[in-house]
Amino acid sequence: MKKNQMNKTRKPLSPVMIVIYVLLVLLAVVYLAPLFWMLMVSVKENKEVMSAPFGLPTTIHWINYQEAWTLGKLGIALLNSVLVCTVTLIFSLIFGSMAAFAIARMRWKLSGAIATFFMIGMMVPVHCILIPLFVRFAHLGLTNSRFGLMLPYITFSLPMTIFLLTGFFKSMPGELFESAAIDGCGIYGCFFRIALPLCRTGFFVSGLMTFINNWNELLLAMVFISDPARKTLPVTLTYFVGPYATNYVQMFAAIIIAIAPTIVVYCLFSNQIVEGLTTGAVKG
Amino acid sequence: MDKILRDKKAICVFIAPALIMFVVILIIPMIQMLYYSLCDYAALTPPKFVGLANYKKLFFKDSTFKIALKNSIFFMIFSAVTQQIIGVLLAVFLTNIPKGRNVFKNIYYLPCVLSSAALGLLWAFLFNPKIGINQLLAKIGIEGPLWLMDSKGFIVLPMWVIAFVALWQYVGQNMMLYMAQITGISRDVYEAAYIDGASKPKAFRYITLPLIKPMMITSISLNCIGSLKFFDLVYNMTQGGPNHRTEVLATELYAEGFNYFKYGYASAISVVLLVLCLVVTLLVKKVIKVETYEG
Repeated sequence: MKKNQMNKTRKPLSPVMIVIYVLLVLLAVVYLAPLFWMLMVSVKENKEVMSAPFGLPTTIHWINYQEAWTLGKLGIALLNSVLVCTVTLIFSLIFGSMAAFAIARMRWKLSGAIATFFMIGMMVPVHCILIPLFVRFAHLGLTNSRFGLMLPYITFSLPMTIFLLTGFFKSMPGELFESAAIDGCGIYGCFFRIALPLCRTGFFVSGLMTFINNWNELLLAMVFISDPARKTLPVTLTYFVGPYATNYVQMFAAIIIAIAPTIVVYCLFSNQIVEGLTTGAVKG
Repeated sequence: MDKILRDKKAICVFIAPALIMFVVILIIPMIQMLYYSLCDYAALTPPKFVGLANYKKLFFKDSTFKIALKNSIFFMIFSAVTQQIIGVLLAVFLTNIPKGRNVFKNIYYLPCVLSSAALGLLWAFLFNPKIGINQLLAKIGIEGPLWLMDSKGFIVLPMWVIAFVALWQYVGQNMMLYMAQITGISRDVYEAAYIDGASKPKAFRYITLPLIKPMMITSISLNCIGSLKFFDLVYNMTQGGPNHRTEVLATELYAEGFNYFKYGYASAISVVLLVLCLVVTLLVKKVIKVETYEG
């Protein structure tokens, strides 16, 4: 088999392969061109966008970014997004790892049922709880607050986190916990001193997924928050649809600012993100 | 050891936070939603039980809802079919090319992690009738259609445009899932088939396809649920317009609930959405039968 592979790499590409490569490259262009074009437009002048939208910019106007930043209140939106997503991330990891540990490692009758119960959360669309939750939160004064937004975010991040972490905890060898128990380690010791430190990859993978999902979430944020000072990034972007609709350059500058963090994270950790996605989806 | 692992108190402590959040934020509101859907409930007055009136109005009187339902189902079927086929093809191509697999994979998956709100704005601009793609078409002498404003036909043109943008954005996810499954298939199976004289297309038909079936269930369910609850792209590209022709269930729900504050009515729409999600998931499970193979 090895010899076979060696032959393959030396062999000139077959015509079929060349066709496939051409297709793949064309598709890659379809994927990258809009993003690249957006980058170009974001440094143009509004006039230039109308007259030559597909040309390269003649002069580079960094000022668009500055204006988008102040006009769209992107600074505060960015801060809100970071705050909401980080707190959500931390709590969904804490709660999720605790539940996953009990499901994966501890012995009790209902563990399977509870695991299935949590998985239902993956199937239920957010839309279904939108109205009752909004009504209740309005009574409690939790609308228009970042804390109120975090609660549903954490809840909807839990199924994925629990599912991923259960897999990681299950793959740990049982002897580890047994020897710890013999040395006098209690159940909490097993969790904090053995399971958690060994599960760093799991945390990283599920954390990334949680963060990206919540970073992009629009509907809940739109419904729950109306105060401009508390809006998250995706909601702020919808502002550019309305009153600033003709200010294309600033809109694109704002979009770039909004998606730049995700692109950076993606470039750095694409492998872990892919792992999170695929292990998260392979349900036994 | 066994005793430690059966510690009931510890189990409760571990499960409690997640379970409480789940019940309070997800389960109770869902039950409430079922109740609201049977009520006449505007924001300021308390809910008043009216039985099935909301549903009757939805299915027999509301023409916008019919459009939304039609669009959502079109969108779901279109996404499921195109994304599955292209996803599997891309996965097969990428697992078979000798070089550049990771580069292509990462490029195709990129839009999946980006905010659809942002990408929606980008595409809305590109499909603007005056600027954007139509200018390119004008250069080669074609008068481009009013991409996002046309309102003729059973499925209006803007809906097709949105469906294609969604395909562009999310096909990478299916590709990724299938790639994981295909790389999991042992090379030996293929080697054996090639020795027996199987061609590559035959190997695809008789080895790859049956072996990726389990993933198909997951992928199609995710696909269908994802497209049923689709909101961001539609909202930022057309906002349901022109004249509600591109409304989908999620945008209709948002409009009824938070523009017109008809909570009861909007709840009925979300019940329809939930039922659709459940039915589709069950159907997918039923239709695709998975035989287990020795791994």
